[in-house]
Amino acid sequence: MRHNIISEQPSTQPAHLSHARRRRLRGKRLAPLWLLLPALLVIGFVQIYPALFTFYLGFFALEPGSGRYVFRGLGNFQRLLASERFAQSLGHTLIFLSGYALLTMTIAMGIALLLRQRVRISGLAITMIFVPWVLSDVVAGIVWRLFVVPDYGLFAPFFANPDLFGAPNGISVLTAPPPAALIAGLTFPPAPAMLLLIVASAWKALPFVTLLLLAALQTVPPEVLESAQIDGAGRWQSFRAITLPLIMPTAVVALISLIIGGINGVGMVFSVTSGGPGTATTVLSYLLYSIGFGQLDFGLAAALSVCMSALNIALVTIIVRLSPVEED
Amino acid sequence: MAALTGTPQRASGRRGALLALKNLALLAIGLLMLFPIFSTLVLSFKAEADVHVTPPRLFPCDSATSPFDPAACRFVSEGYERVFQPRAATAWPGFRLDGRIITTYLPNSAIYASASATLVTAFAALSAYAYSRYRFRGRRALLMATLLINGVPLFTLLLALLQMGNAIRRIFPGYEERVFMVLVYAGFQLPFAIWIAKGFFDAIPRDLEEAAMIDGCSRLGALMRVVAPLAAPGLLAIFLLCLVEVWNDFTLNYFLMNKQALRGVIFGVYAFIASSGISFNALAAACIAAMLPVIAVFLAARRSFFSAMAEGAVKG
Repeated sequence: MRHNIISEQPSTQPAHLSHARRRRLRGKRLAPLWLLLPALLVIGFVQIYPALFTFYLGFFALEPGSGRYVFRGLGNFQRLLASERFAQSLGHTLIFLSGYALLTMTIAMGIALLLRQRVRISGLAITMIFVPWVLSDVVAGIVWRLFVVPDYGLFAPFFANPDLFGAPNGISVLTAPPPAALIAGLTFPPAPAMLLLIVASAWKALPFVTLLLLAALQTVPPEVLESAQIDGAGRWQSFRAITLPLIMPTAVVALISLIIGGINGVGMVFSVTSGGPGTATTVLSYLLYSIGFGQLDFGLAAALSVCMSALNIALVTIIVRLSPVEED
Repeated sequence: MAALTGTPQRASGRRGALLALKNLALLAIGLLMLFPIFSTLVLSFKAEADVHVTPPRLFPCDSATSPFDPAACRFVSEGYERVFQPRAATAWPGFRLDGRIITTYLPNSAIYASASATLVTAFAALSAYAYSRYRFRGRRALLMATLLINGVPLFTLLLALLQMGNAIRRIFPGYEERVFMVLVYAGFQLPFAIWIAKGFFDAIPRDLEEAAMIDGCSRLGALMRVVAPLAAPGLLAIFLLCLVEVWNDFTLNYFLMNKQALRGVIFGVYAFIASSGISFNALAAACIAAMLPVIAVFLAARRSFFSAMAEGAVKG
């Protein structure tokens, strides 16, 4: 497979070339292979092989007596899809994703539009806005967790307010019981802990998305906007008719990266809420962690990761289909 | 990126007022974004007694007469002392820091981050050059696959990587396990790095190389003398990006390295959640210690960061 990727135009090779010249040409044709090889080897070793291995592992389960893996067919998947925890975590993931993506995209778009105006302060403002982006997920999560530590956290009184979050609310967001589910697995309104998780994650993702959108906004030619204004288009009109379609491809990329990061990322959940209180913020990625490394049920974990990859692909496909972006 | 340089505009009247309003809004957003970090910084300098007050206060500055009296502020280094554990010593500079975060975790993170960033920058440059300058069969498919591989959940790969690490350990007893860690980091950083680097190489006009080759330069000579200097700022940005990502990793390091001696700085912070009990000032101090190096790198090289991100964004 490695060899037939590399072939520049074989038909253009004249037949009368000398042996040495032909060898030199073949050397040239193989040049991109040698350039790509180191990266391909490392990525194959660290990402491709493990991914295939996990897919394979999804069909096996640990036999309690012998400690060996035996073939179970689709047994792991049946066990997973039948479990209540899976449905509940899927619901939590969908609530988290929609809140996280919506909050981040709207605020980032607002900031990017403000920054585009080339105001005097934007260099300083960009730097200030971007600092959270270089923090580790775990550190950023702890920073937010410290806000809601029962009694002593700065925001603890807010989350402990019974008028806002209901009467049997515990001392703080980390101990409050989750609200009852309307539909099985779909708790709405989300628990205060979920709100905190969404806000903390949006805070961390905001800089990156803002920069993506800002970069896209810079590619909108100002002459077009000006001529639209001369022709009598209002601000909202020219935003909708000119700016939005032009930045749409980048907005889609931003949304996809938010969704992939939101489904797979576990660092924030780990450090902000640890999936609690109870299971109120146990999203799929946290469930995967607790099945794989809490219960050491690798077969079931592998089945769950296959399902999560499928969810990734499904959501990305839906977004790409729905968005009015033309392929190049 | 013009907005990054912030060209000042002369404006007057209503336009000027609007501009001032926008400036103010941006400044407010910036302060709001920094507030969580700021409050952590303040917390890290609080004394234990000032952490445990209800209702909670941002500043430990209340006096008997007023809720906020700058003269009464009680900032102490108690939290940092618990993190760094300074001890008196005879050698220069008269004390030494015994905290694990100094003796083990920070050096480990420095090794992981710098080694894998170097590896990633070199390999990504080679690959990106190939993608940018050669047209070969399967080029587009390979590029797309490189990007899509990031859609697989991290924990999926962790199970296999864990077994891989165990297998290597069995086959080569006593090998340097940090090598495996660096390779894993490189594998996870490479796809995005290749994508960004390709953008940078695409931006360098081919004519420049061709002119050099017509003037008698070999392809390699043209690469080293013409392309490399032009690509240098982009490659520096990739290096920094990778440095920060690896420095900030917790999950891979935590699950793949089972010895305390091999763990990085974010694990050091995480360990404080469990061990600090209710000493939130120490936990905050550990957070500040872990974030300070990356924030310093970011502030020193922020233009490189922005150009790398914008490049990856627009081309991606």
